[in-house]
Amino acid sequence: MQRVSAYPEDSAAAQALASCHVCYKLSPERLHECPRCGSTLHLRIPHSIQRTVAFLVTAIVLYVPANVLPIMTTAQLGRSEPSTILGGVVLLVKMGSYPVAAVIFIASVLVPIAKFSALSWLCWSVARKHPTSHRQRTVLYRFTEFIGRWSMTDVFVVMILVALIHLVGLLVITPGAAAIAFGGVVIMTMLAAESFDPRLIWDQLGEADD
Amino acid sequence: MHAERLACVECDLLQTLDELAPGDRASCPRCGHLLSSRAADGLTRSMAFALAASVLLLMANAFPFLSLEASGLESVMTLPRAALELARDGYGPMAAMIVAFILVAPGLMILAVISLALPLLRGRDAPWLVPAARMLFWLTPWSMVEVFVIGVIVSLIKIAHMADVHLGVSFWSYLGFALCFTFAMANLDRLEVWNEIERCSG
Repeated sequence: MQRVSAYPEDSAAAQALASCHVCYKLSPERLHECPRCGSTLHLRIPHSIQRTVAFLVTAIVLYVPANVLPIMTTAQLGRSEPSTILGGVVLLVKMGSYPVAAVIFIASVLVPIAKFSALSWLCWSVARKHPTSHRQRTVLYRFTEFIGRWSMTDVFVVMILVALIHLVGLLVITPGAAAIAFGGVVIMTMLAAESFDPRLIWDQLGEADD
Repeated sequence: MHAERLACVECDLLQTLDELAPGDRASCPRCGHLLSSRAADGLTRSMAFALAASVLLLMANAFPFLSLEASGLESVMTLPRAALELARDGYGPMAAMIVAFILVAPGLMILAVISLALPLLRGRDAPWLVPAARMLFWLTPWSMVEVFVIGVIVSLIKIAHMADVHLGVSFWSYLGFALCFTFAMANLDRLEVWNEIERCSG
């Protein structure tokens, strides 16, 4: 009766039990639908790695226009000056606003790159069954999930500056295409993090020595 | 008091979770994932903060957010108008994205908390319990209330050298909303909410 399972012995999946991804109730997977909340039951997120990689690639592609194109244009007395994300950081450093420069640099440059690297590493390590500590990789996953939203900071800043300075005749600030691209980067990395199933990390228990 | 069999969402370790006493939290013994954290009177507190947050959110939309004075000209910004102007200038998707993250998603979450807490606190069933809870937890990662607050602070520092900026009623309301919203969500335990729904509808 006992068949050899692809999952570690102490996991719910080895007993064909699926934990509902919405309400966490444990039910036999053959029910297909959670009896408590009606969500579809899966032992693991279907095609988790493929979906994560797809969103990740989209995010990385969008990251190029997000950095190359201007995030906003400041027009003053007929002179218009486009500025990119990095240009904005450099300007803030020149003005001596180091804390603000640091916030923007961390939120718009470090966080996205950290997310790209962390998620790529997680997908690669799961696909290749790399023997890194399971717990460390889980912590890395939680970290990517937590930091994702913070990169929206600069997009919000652009919106506030545009709205606030709009009406003052001498100075006009308009948003640039990078703002939309950057919003896309944040959304794509968040979808990538949500598509990644951290249980895949633990499915390798016993296969590789930790 | 009953024990519940469940699997850790992050590592799938099958385990038994004893019913938690108020103020207790339980983590997965293998990966450390926080399974459940039960605040004392969590649902009541969550409801109280949600009610306060809903009033503050309405105020945040009704009054000036920031106003700016430079060379004799004054510019007043309100949250809905800021979004409308962005949309009118051809940045519709950007405006929609921002409004969704800072107003619509958190607003719907607050509504969901209130509509869940009202029947659950009295032990009653309601037809909207399951859809409201599903929406609440589906929206959770997409609410960026605290990120927006940081964005506002950064913008204030950026403009400060150009002009006199005045903080409006709406600014303080949104700040209060952000606090109440955070407390409302912190007092809500996902596992407990679903167990309550099951108890009341079963």
